[in-house]
Amino acid sequence: MPPSCLHNTQTNLSGAQPTPPPRAHSPAPSPKPAARLSGTPLRPARRDFPGGPGSRPGPPLPHPAALPEVQVREMTGAPGKPRAEWSRKCLGPEASPGASTHRVRGRGPHMRVQRAGTMLKGMTRLISRVHKLDPGRLLHTGTQAPQNLTAQLDDQVSSERPRAISRTSENDPAKHELRHEGQHYNIPLPDVKALFPQGLPPRYLKQVKTFNEACLMVRKPALELLHHLKNTNFAHPAVRYVLYGEKGTGKTLSLCHIIHFCAKQDWLVLHIPDAHLWVKNCRELLQSTYNKQRFDQPLEASIWLKNFKTANERFLSQIKTQEKYVWNKRESTEQGSPLGEVVEQGMTRVRSATDAVGIVLKELKRQSSLGTFRLLVAVDGVNALWGRTTLKREDKSPIAPEELALIYNLRKVVRNDWNGGAIVLTLSQTGSLFKPRKAYLPQELLGKEGFDALDPFIPILVSNYNPKEFESCLQYYLENSWLQHEKAHTEEGKRELLFLSNSNPGQLERLCACL
Amino acid sequence: MAAPAVTAVRGWSGLTPGVRSVVLRLPGVTQVRWSRYGPEYRDPQIDKEYYRKPLAELTEEEKYDRELRKTQHIKAAPAMKTSSVFEDPLISKFTNMMMKGGNKVLARSLMTQTLEALKRKQFEKYHAAPAEEQATIERNPYTIFHQALKNCEPVIGLVPILKGGHFYQVPVPLADRRRRFLAMKWMITECREKKHRRVLMPEKLSHELLQAFQNQGPVIKRKHDMHKMAEANRALAHYRWW
Repeated sequence: MPPSCLHNTQTNLSGAQPTPPPRAHSPAPSPKPAARLSGTPLRPARRDFPGGPGSRPGPPLPHPAALPEVQVREMTGAPGKPRAEWSRKCLGPEASPGASTHRVRGRGPHMRVQRAGTMLKGMTRLISRVHKLDPGRLLHTGTQAPQNLTAQLDDQVSSERPRAISRTSENDPAKHELRHEGQHYNIPLPDVKALFPQGLPPRYLKQVKTFNEACLMVRKPALELLHHLKNTNFAHPAVRYVLYGEKGTGKTLSLCHIIHFCAKQDWLVLHIPDAHLWVKNCRELLQSTYNKQRFDQPLEASIWLKNFKTANERFLSQIKTQEKYVWNKRESTEQGSPLGEVVEQGMTRVRSATDAVGIVLKELKRQSSLGTFRLLVAVDGVNALWGRTTLKREDKSPIAPEELALIYNLRKVVRNDWNGGAIVLTLSQTGSLFKPRKAYLPQELLGKEGFDALDPFIPILVSNYNPKEFESCLQYYLENSWLQHEKAHTEEGKRELLFLSNSNPGQLERLCACL
Repeated sequence: MAAPAVTAVRGWSGLTPGVRSVVLRLPGVTQVRWSRYGPEYRDPQIDKEYYRKPLAELTEEEKYDRELRKTQHIKAAPAMKTSSVFEDPLISKFTNMMMKGGNKVLARSLMTQTLEALKRKQFEKYHAAPAEEQATIERNPYTIFHQALKNCEPVIGLVPILKGGHFYQVPVPLADRRRRFLAMKWMITECREKKHRRVLMPEKLSHELLQAFQNQGPVIKRKHDMHKMAEANRALAHYRWW
């Protein structure tokens, strides 16, 4: 079986997507068995990617994760196969997961299927396949199974319509639900500048600039997190959520979705855009004035303070410091002065920027328990806190992460010994140091020390696009006329994109950029 | 193998069986580049549509062709030829010309970045333009690329011909493939040599392609220079004997 089929099945298992019957005509005995001529090199030395009527002979492997909307269009386009379309359409709504599959053998649609004759073989194969996939899907959807069913039935119905919907008009993240899954919502550009001065991935920024709009896709991991955040008990210690997944699956953008939600709900967002930037390529390392053992990073700290100020302007005057801080012989910040002063001090006196960052983190952590504001700690690339650094002292001996004051203070914030907020973390291999490229699991990236420090946490897997999301993404690109190649609009082109990208969002974006 | 038969027929001893029979036979000219395949080897058919045609729709010719392919030897498909719908032979050729030291990965990434840069620049222009002009702005990087290279192709070329101990630049009509080659060669040379060391190749290449698309820029100028030289030397045209 070509590995591409394996990829498809894996996508389906993780995606919890309803499986409308795949192209029923492919399992049917091909009306032209001689279409494949023996001896002719039908397939060159390289693997051909799957799909296409008649390109696969004999006992085929119907793709359970094949694009539902694609099938609709394909079926209407392919001549001479009306029965398959008709039987698939009537079987479609019944083929939702779990409970209703056994009812296929009952009345109505099944009788019509029996009349479809040769299509029955394909149907039985489909049913067995849906049965096989059932347990995995139910396990994955967990508590959200009931809403899933209704939402998926709705989606089944909507998938019968010729055009997939890629946008939603619901721009408030608080109101996003499972029915918005796969759809893009718009973030107004001034909000983007205010909320994410630093947090967006560079390719996404380019896309925002090109399209003149910032649209994020609503996806299951983010929805799950939103659900948890809406039901947080602020009296309990802060819960840690860790978004993990392979490269390019959308962890950072899911984090941005959460940040947007929290900012809209008037939380104080403590966003560290990329913790990896603090453990490598640091030009200036100063010995910390506060603690001789540690090192300061003035540049990184001052940049972060500037962005923090842009994002949380209104809180800086409300929150007051709870103790006096002495910067040096001449300057000090009194108790009860607004936090904005500490930030200003850090920005003007760059030497004490790291200490200012430490003070900000400490004060916020302490005061979030009081209940005046809710704190969201969002760290991207949290595995940098427990990895290795590439920084060296003057005597060329390596520096451990805990010897950097920024990292030391950040580790304290990420501990769950405070309440009144939540901690959302992202693991990232992309900027990490001395980690293999294929590593994505929390244990692999965090190491023993990091895992023990973060334990207990709620892991949330961010996986590749499921067929609906893939279709929605392509639809979004088509609407913005981003796919300019004339073949990209065809089914063949879409199949090829699916194969080449393996439904990986990052890869798909890169592929579509040059088409 | 038909080798002994071939050499016997041709009467040239010592030739390998790979010599194609379609070689241009000029006296004193021997072929130096040949393929290992004999003349009986057919080119591979990479197009998927060819195989997807149901048997009923084939004409007699095509049926005969298919049957013939079953028995004949077929060459191996080259590694870089794919059955992808997005494949473009001109882009592949350009990528190969940009490649240095066999680093196809780098050449291809430069090419994709160039196409992306072209698209982004055109999108920027599109969004900045008023509604009436938006229809005139071409955003497809492939059309821009093809049109730009077509605009850069010279119509007539110069060839050095030795006469009376001197080399004269004689105007000569160019074959299609020579013209395409010259257009691509000039484009690549221009982008490599005339850019600042901090400017990246995709940036420079996209800029030059856009200029060539509008019939401006240094590559078009070079083409015009070639034409002017050819015009100036038109008296020497009779030195050409083919």
